[in-house]
Amino acid sequence: MAQIVSLAASLRQAAGKGAARQARLQGKVPAVIYGHGRETQSLEVAAKALEKALTGVEPQNTIIELALDGKKVKTLIREIQRHPLRPDIIHVDFYEIHAEEKVRLKVPVHLVGNPDGVRNAGGVLDQVTREVEIEVLPEHIPDRVELDVTALKIGDSLHVRDLSIPSATILTHADLTIATVVPPRAEEVAAPTPETATEVAEPELIRKVREGEEEEGAAAAEGVGGAGGGGGAAKPEPKAGGGAAAAKGEKGEKSEKAEKPKGGKES
Amino acid sequence: MLAPKRVKFRKRFKGRTKGMATRGNTVAFGHYGLMALEPGWISNRQIEASRVALTREMKRGGKVWIRLFPDKPVTKKPAETRMGKGKGNPEGWVAVVKPGRVMFEVEGIAEDLARQALALAAAKLPIKSKFVRREER
Repeated sequence: MAQIVSLAASLRQAAGKGAARQARLQGKVPAVIYGHGRETQSLEVAAKALEKALTGVEPQNTIIELALDGKKVKTLIREIQRHPLRPDIIHVDFYEIHAEEKVRLKVPVHLVGNPDGVRNAGGVLDQVTREVEIEVLPEHIPDRVELDVTALKIGDSLHVRDLSIPSATILTHADLTIATVVPPRAEEVAAPTPETATEVAEPELIRKVREGEEEEGAAAAEGVGGAGGGGGAAKPEPKAGGGAAAAKGEKGEKSEKAEKPKGGKES
Repeated sequence: MLAPKRVKFRKRFKGRTKGMATRGNTVAFGHYGLMALEPGWISNRQIEASRVALTREMKRGGKVWIRLFPDKPVTKKPAETRMGKGKGNPEGWVAVVKPGRVMFEVEGIAEDLARQALALAAAKLPIKSKFVRREER
């Protein structure tokens, strides 16, 4: 059964980023409430109270009892926006729910136990899917879904079909892998020698090379090839004239300059 | 080392790095991660050095995700060359990183070992970074 947390909220009159920023400066978090046929309303909640309410619970499947305008509204959190660097919450979406209406939500999958393949064969337990989508009545929202992985050997995996959530319909595809035990990594390949590491191999060009560019590119490639030994099959085929011009050094630059009006520049 | 197989253009503009990472700013695959706190260019050599440090410290246990790809070519003019005469030759590849980007992720190891390993990886990078966990940021 999901936990129920109480939180006070007030209506927010001003909209837009300026007002939202002002609210954040005053220690409030802009929020919005929608769902169950109600009109969308802008709210604000105290940042500290929100942080406190969300510590130690799974935010996505905790019922938030929102005290709004003297009424209590049961909601779920649909989205939490956070600052890219800091742990601050910058916006919350509340979704109103009703006791007799089923809701769709994601519940976290927690793996229990130490797999046999990890204990005895040095494998690594890889959890591929961390949450599954379910449809359930609010009173039956599970706190978390536990999956026993003790029997897994190397190469074994558990799927969504192995989960059992009482009084809930699992919407996630049954064949999706939840956890697998992968074999330990093979010995590391020896690091490349400094000479090979200095090479800058030029990748193949996706677009077609124009005529003028081809000669320029060939001349440049010749230069790189001479310095670092790079290049490779990816470079365009050098024409006889272009190659010879590059070999001559300064004269090559002059000829390149002369060719420019014909071909045009790279953009 | 990481590098693109095919590209549309050999050379690219430098560009300016503004703002923070709006994508790739959460720990998505593993349990622990290394988040960039500054903008910068990270070369494929630096990524490789970090990866080697990370996997060695983890003693080949656990799993590592590299969430950077050096897809931007950088050019350099040869030594003792006069300015002008066009853009230099491609000399390497870099990944453009904005603050907030989770660059590496690990899973399957204890938190203290993950902290240690990611600190060694961070020492190979040209920008400040911090250790992050899946639930907190």
